[in-house]
Amino acid sequence: MSKRVFHHPDVPADETTVAWRSPGQLDDSPEFREWLEREFPRGAAEMADGEDAETSRRSFLKLMGASSALAGFGMAACRRPESYIVPYTKAPEWVIPGKATYYASSMPRAAGAVPLVVTNFEGRPTKLAPNKLHPDADGTDAFTQASVLDLYSPSRSRKPMAGGKPASRADLDAMIAELAKDPGAKVGFLFGGDVSPTRTRLRGELAAKFSGAKFYQYEALAGDGGRAYGDGAKPVADFSKAERILSFDCDFGSSDPVGKASEFFAKRKPEGNGYKAKPDAESMNRLYMVESAFSLTGGMADHRLRVAPAELLKLAGQIARELGVPEAAGMPAVADDKQLSWIEPLVADLKAHRGKSLIVAGSRQPAAVHHLVLAMNLVLGNLGKGHPFNVVQTGNAGLGGLQELIADIHSGAVETLVMMTPANPVYDAPADLDFPAALAKLKNSIHLGTRTDVTAHAASWHIPAAHYLEGWSDARTAAGTYTVVQPMILPLYPDCVSELELLLALLSDDGKLINGEGAEGAASPAYDAVRKTFAGIGGEGDKAWKSLLRDGYLAGSAYTPIDARPSVDARKDIPEAVKAMEAAGDSLQVVFAADASVYDGRYIDNAWLQEAPDPISKVTWDNAALIAPKTAKNLGIYDEILKLEPVTKALGFIPVEGKYAAVGPDGEGKNRTAPVIELKVNGKTLQFPVIVSFGQAENTIVIPLGYGQGFNEEDDFGRKPQNESHVGLVGVNRGFNAYPLRTTASQLFAGGASVKLVAGKRYPIALTQEHSAMYGRALAREISTIDSHDHKGGFEKQLHDVAKQGPVDSHAPKNISLYKSEDRNGQPLLSDKLHQWGMSIDLTSCMGCNACLVACQAENNIPVVGKQQVAMGREMHWIRMDRYYAQQKDNNFDADNPALIPQPVGCVQCESAPCETVCPVNATVHTPDGLNAMAYNRCIGTRYCANNCPYKARRFNFFDYNKRNPLIKHNLYRGPLGKKDEGGADHLQKNPNVTVRMRGVMEKCTYCVQRLKDAVIRQKQGQKQEALAAGKPSTEMDVTTSTLRIPVDSVKVACQEACPAEAISFGNLLDKEKSSLGRAKKLERNYDLLNYIGTLPRTSYLARVKNPNPKMPDAKFIGKATINIV
Amino acid sequence: MANIFPRWSNLLPLKIVVCAGTVAGGIALAFSYYATPKTLAVGYQPSQPIPFSHKIHVDQLGLDCRYCHSFVEVSGHSNVPTGNTCWNCHQHVQQDSPKLEPLHISMNPNHPSYDGEPIEWVRIHKLPDYVYFNHSAHVSRGISCQSCHGDVDQMEVVYQAENLSMGWCLECHRSPEDNLRPLEEVFNFAYDAEDWLTENPMEGVDTTEELGLKLKEQFKVTPKESCATCHH
Repeated sequence: MSKRVFHHPDVPADETTVAWRSPGQLDDSPEFREWLEREFPRGAAEMADGEDAETSRRSFLKLMGASSALAGFGMAACRRPESYIVPYTKAPEWVIPGKATYYASSMPRAAGAVPLVVTNFEGRPTKLAPNKLHPDADGTDAFTQASVLDLYSPSRSRKPMAGGKPASRADLDAMIAELAKDPGAKVGFLFGGDVSPTRTRLRGELAAKFSGAKFYQYEALAGDGGRAYGDGAKPVADFSKAERILSFDCDFGSSDPVGKASEFFAKRKPEGNGYKAKPDAESMNRLYMVESAFSLTGGMADHRLRVAPAELLKLAGQIARELGVPEAAGMPAVADDKQLSWIEPLVADLKAHRGKSLIVAGSRQPAAVHHLVLAMNLVLGNLGKGHPFNVVQTGNAGLGGLQELIADIHSGAVETLVMMTPANPVYDAPADLDFPAALAKLKNSIHLGTRTDVTAHAASWHIPAAHYLEGWSDARTAAGTYTVVQPMILPLYPDCVSELELLLALLSDDGKLINGEGAEGAASPAYDAVRKTFAGIGGEGDKAWKSLLRDGYLAGSAYTPIDARPSVDARKDIPEAVKAMEAAGDSLQVVFAADASVYDGRYIDNAWLQEAPDPISKVTWDNAALIAPKTAKNLGIYDEILKLEPVTKALGFIPVEGKYAAVGPDGEGKNRTAPVIELKVNGKTLQFPVIVSFGQAENTIVIPLGYGQGFNEEDDFGRKPQNESHVGLVGVNRGFNAYPLRTTASQLFAGGASVKLVAGKRYPIALTQEHSAMYGRALAREISTIDSHDHKGGFEKQLHDVAKQGPVDSHAPKNISLYKSEDRNGQPLLSDKLHQWGMSIDLTSCMGCNACLVACQAENNIPVVGKQQVAMGREMHWIRMDRYYAQQKDNNFDADNPALIPQPVGCVQCESAPCETVCPVNATVHTPDGLNAMAYNRCIGTRYCANNCPYKARRFNFFDYNKRNPLIKHNLYRGPLGKKDEGGADHLQKNPNVTVRMRGVMEKCTYCVQRLKDAVIRQKQGQKQEALAAGKPSTEMDVTTSTLRIPVDSVKVACQEACPAEAISFGNLLDKEKSSLGRAKKLERNYDLLNYIGTLPRTSYLARVKNPNPKMPDAKFIGKATINIV
Repeated sequence: MANIFPRWSNLLPLKIVVCAGTVAGGIALAFSYYATPKTLAVGYQPSQPIPFSHKIHVDQLGLDCRYCHSFVEVSGHSNVPTGNTCWNCHQHVQQDSPKLEPLHISMNPNHPSYDGEPIEWVRIHKLPDYVYFNHSAHVSRGISCQSCHGDVDQMEVVYQAENLSMGWCLECHRSPEDNLRPLEEVFNFAYDAEDWLTENPMEGVDTTEELGLKLKEQFKVTPKESCATCHH
């Protein structure tokens, strides 16, 4: 009997949308078919290679031998092992064993501090969540969520180093004391881009103490755009006031914030946050995006124009001129008709929204673009207090840049350098500045950092830095609100020093370095310093201080906008930039981009970030050059990218192509490799693997930065073991370093590049874009607010039709499952009358940023599996961030600029769940409150459930990922003989309320059941307190639904909490319209994923709404990206 | 051709099967009896660093459970008292008792071998790591300490009174009325349902069974039997 194949309904004949996840799917390759049809690709359940199989067989025999030999002694161990309960001797205040404590703190970042609430269990910080009390609270992004892992990172720097060799603390103390006692020292301080009021105050004291003190600031990816606003000034956008937004390469929703982005996302929803209003297209904002490669914000844009980086300035000039900006008068005009037809209605739309529109530019854009942006906002009346665009003065004025620093070193004005920037200047400074040479010229250089990176080795001294959760500090958010950085724990390793502690040691008379704790348990000197700063800003006394510690911020302390006008520099910068642009001409251009996993390289040792697939390219553990398909074809490398490769070897050495391959070629698998190109730019040549990237401008190559920091093995690229000590196991052998290509003039863009395919070389890449691909009709749905010629009606009509897009949507067959929804007595199985959990995910505001994915990993103890395992499709993330591209067949405006739709998919908790019916041991069963529960201890690992899951939401522990370090080669295959994590502290991060799963166990999203249980139990405790308060005997007490049901919207699941876009609503379905979830479920644009198969999922999706401008030339192709995978 | 096997060997296969079956059956029976929590866990009574007597403290002195296990009503864990809880009294009472030596080492800075390290109590009631039992959920809904821990007030040395197996948990989750008490009586080890009923007569409640059912109805106690209740 052949396998019964489920027939999905037909795609309507008039469907004009083509949708795809990967180039392989566009070509309908057999490998993609395999991903679709199978739970895991062929071979995922087998040993990696003969070598692994051999080790495993041997280990097995060894173990068997050993265990029989020991059997005689075995009986002696048949006694219950003794375990101990170790209470505190002196109970710390507030700590209740088994309960979390929450403190307000924040993560200092160059773009502005992220206000946080930190969850602690018995003094261990385990989870970060945004501080929603804070006026500037957005959500958190993946970097913030993952930063808690850095605290426990096994490769964290723990001991001081001198000249790259371990040094003693006593020597370090002596060196600091000597420096502190020399007021004539010519000492330079290099800070990061974050703003700390206490540091700013101490800067003044340092300048007073050291007559030769100089201060600098360096962030690898800062760009020079900030110059346009003045020294230490920066733009801040107020999205709540912006109805029309034009962004020049500014990923303000994710990696490049310019203000509170949650206001932007709120205005994306036609019903507003909380879905309280009626859907109203007028209330939505409209986003125009001009960029070179897809950014997450670009993916949300209503109209997106892709241009090469050099062209962007020309476009900005054209728009500025049409808006009447005098500075743009002499700029070259745009000649392209299509671009002109795009600009004309845009300018009209902006003019029609004077004072209510907003124009922003990416921080990596040159000053010329920022000058124009400032001028455009001025002309449009958007500038000023109470308007969408403001310029504010931060405390970081009067700081030199890296160029000034190097000049001062060479002139002898700086002899000692204290480096505190989180960047890694020896690695990431522009190549032509030759920072290492300048560093070598210094008498003394001190590096404070959390990693033993190349700068730590090159400096004369390295001091291990405390994590931000380990020391007192303060910071300002993007909008300037004073925010405290509160430590949760003393430094995990006793030699770790915070930035303020080092500055305070240098300021003290005796130069004594006090870190962590003062003498006899006194607070660190940084505490007093922060209190002193705060006293000057927020007032003296304990009351104000305590409320700062409780709330995490000082109300009303945001920056006041300054009166900004385009500066005189504009007249110099713009013509210069135009000249540079014309020089680049039509040449191949390179964009040096921040990486979504490692940023500028600082997070290279963070395993969660490395394993989180890049939101756009879906690359894990590496970087790769990205290139548009057409450009790749023109350069003759497209076929190479998609080419079949020898994937299996007969007799061990004869390459055989074909069906016996463990996993296919372009279909990502363990043999997935990318061709390698040789990129020549700025007179240097480097090699990079290359993959296709859709929606990218032609003639542009994007290279994410930050990789290639250390290697411990030989590879095909001539990279010998080198710099191994600079990185940990996570960061070793990762990707390719592109920093040597950058020069001062071309820090973020470079023209005049050339590319050559390197014949015969390929690089293995773990790409997840095809993993867990689902079949289905109308998986993600998109509608438009306008009625263009072939839209099926206006906004109202389209809203109405959302739930009827597939032919069977409107009349889904009745549930004919053998498993009824009632028990034998006719009682409903979903019997809980207090709580029925449900979720809704709004595709309108979801941009696919991975914050939820990493938050889920932190909350639910999800293991990291390593590059090789990811390549085989074994990643464990409970939330899979699907990313679809969709294009209209008849798109004649720009056929290579598809729509990008992200769709997070976790377990949707089907009421009629296919997984439950096939489990032979009832390890996955339904709870009365509607969860599809997983009993890990009962699971025997048949994987039938995963096979039967139409959403592919289940993950299987092929190995003991939690116990055996998957990053050591072949380690997983050694079974019980494999190395465990040694020396690390990852286990301290684990959530004590979630079981750590072992090998052979299936797992999946359970709606954070531990949080739900906690909330429900907390509510039940209230019953007793109520009785006590009423003074009545408990037997006369009235217990009602409202006593036992948790308050509306009072429990948040980890993904929902982290989401910066409030795209996820979660709650109790029985609260109906009182809850945000209930209102979302009532909306017309609410639909169930794979509705027609009758699984009755509890997680539903809200269709994406696009708000195009009907006058734009591409308007009729917008808002139709409904995804069918056939 | 001569017989290779003698005649008696004809029944040998049968004998082997019977013997092997008996042995296997025996092992299975023995395992299912001796290797279950009922046998392995009940009565577990390790000696503690300090021979703390619950009988003296609870029964004779009348301390409430929550004086030491102070967070049992708010936390999933019922905490074992911290050193300073003991020290509150014992810096004044029974100072010279040699039994309290470990407490002095832990808490008394004047003691010659004072080290400030906590006392390591031997754990008696231990559930597997994948079980999340919540004390507060039970004691604030009318389940007494006594129901699971036995007559601790009478124990000189604490031992495990019940087997704490999943079947045992489910027994009560299926019929909680057998163990429900008025909330005021949860920590009362001398509680007797009949006496309580005599003192607090309730309309329509005559027997202790009816009291349990009445409390279940009134508190709206609906214990869950689904996996996720304890396993997550």
